Amino acid sequence: MLLPILVRESLCCSKNSVLLTSSNIQTSIRGLQGKGARGLHSYAQWFLCRRLPSRLNTQIRGAKSWKSQTKQQEDEWRKRNKTVLTYIAAAGVGMIGMSYAAVPLYRLYCQASGLGGTAVAGHDAEQVETMTPVMDRIIKITFNADTHASMQWNFRPQQSEIYVVPGETALAFYRAKNPTDKPVIGISTYNVVPFEAGQYFNKIQCFCFEEQRLNPKEEVDMPVFFYIDPEFDEDPRMARVDTITLSYTFFEAKEGQKLPLPGYSPISLHS
Amino acid sequence: MSTAMNFSSKSFRPRAPDKGSFPLDHFGECKAFKEKFMKCLKDNSYDNSMCRVQSKDYLECRMDNQLMAKEPLEKLGFKDLMDKHSQENKEAKP
Repeated sequence: MLLPILVRESLCCSKNSVLLTSSNIQTSIRGLQGKGARGLHSYAQWFLCRRLPSRLNTQIRGAKSWKSQTKQQEDEWRKRNKTVLTYIAAAGVGMIGMSYAAVPLYRLYCQASGLGGTAVAGHDAEQVETMTPVMDRIIKITFNADTHASMQWNFRPQQSEIYVVPGETALAFYRAKNPTDKPVIGISTYNVVPFEAGQYFNKIQCFCFEEQRLNPKEEVDMPVFFYIDPEFDEDPRMARVDTITLSYTFFEAKEGQKLPLPGYSPISLHS
Repeated sequence: MSTAMNFSSKSFRPRAPDKGSFPLDHFGECKAFKEKFMKCLKDNSYDNSMCRVQSKDYLECRMDNQLMAKEPLEKLGFKDLMDKHSQENKEAKP
């Protein structure tokens, strides 16, 4: 038991020379043979750099009262530990629950605030029938057509712009020509600028998100049937928006390739 | 489509069309109606409100040639045109 104390001492007081350390060891070994327990203890205490806790000094005196005191203290500590552990466990379970609840809550928040471009709930397909055009707000819709670099179709709009009012359905045409000698399948997607106006731009029917096959040297007209939501006029953020640009981009589709479509299932199309 | 890697940046999410996709008019069956519509637009400086009759005709052509799902035109926003049409019919009858 003396050895760890010695090792500690030699590590602790490193400025002692090796000679001094060895002489200390020799004297302490001699001490081990001659002295009793208490003497040994005071020797160790003298060697150690660190002070032993004063608790040990009073170990022999009043041992009984100290024991009951520690038992009480221990019980208290145990109770306190238990309550702390309970609180921590509850917090852990609460956090796991919150992380599960966060998913629908975040979705609700996004819908309410329109953050992240999610469509604001309330876009009703039936309103086409009942909406009335807001005749005093004329909006210019400009058209843009793009193709992917490897897509060889000639794709362009047939009108550069069109003037509509919110609440009125409008028709626009694009033209695509396949100049190659092989049939080409294309899929298109669209984009609306400015970003905030995109939520008011509703397409009734168009040619996007579905594979369109063009035979060699074939040219077709592609219509887009759309309307601007009448609520566009009431949105303060749209007060200064007079031009909306609709931009279509065509990509080449390989046979049997399936694009991940935004909430669009071909089943609902043919119902 | 834009790639938005940061939380607060808004990215445009394209929405599917309400009634799906138009089948392609490979045989140009409704090309004549389309030409009439385009001519009307050019003559009226691209004002859509003036050319609604032509767009209605084009959509009717599509429906007749199986290029579009048949639907009452009121559902496509042509209620005012249909009302006017039926009113004219009523007046012409007696």
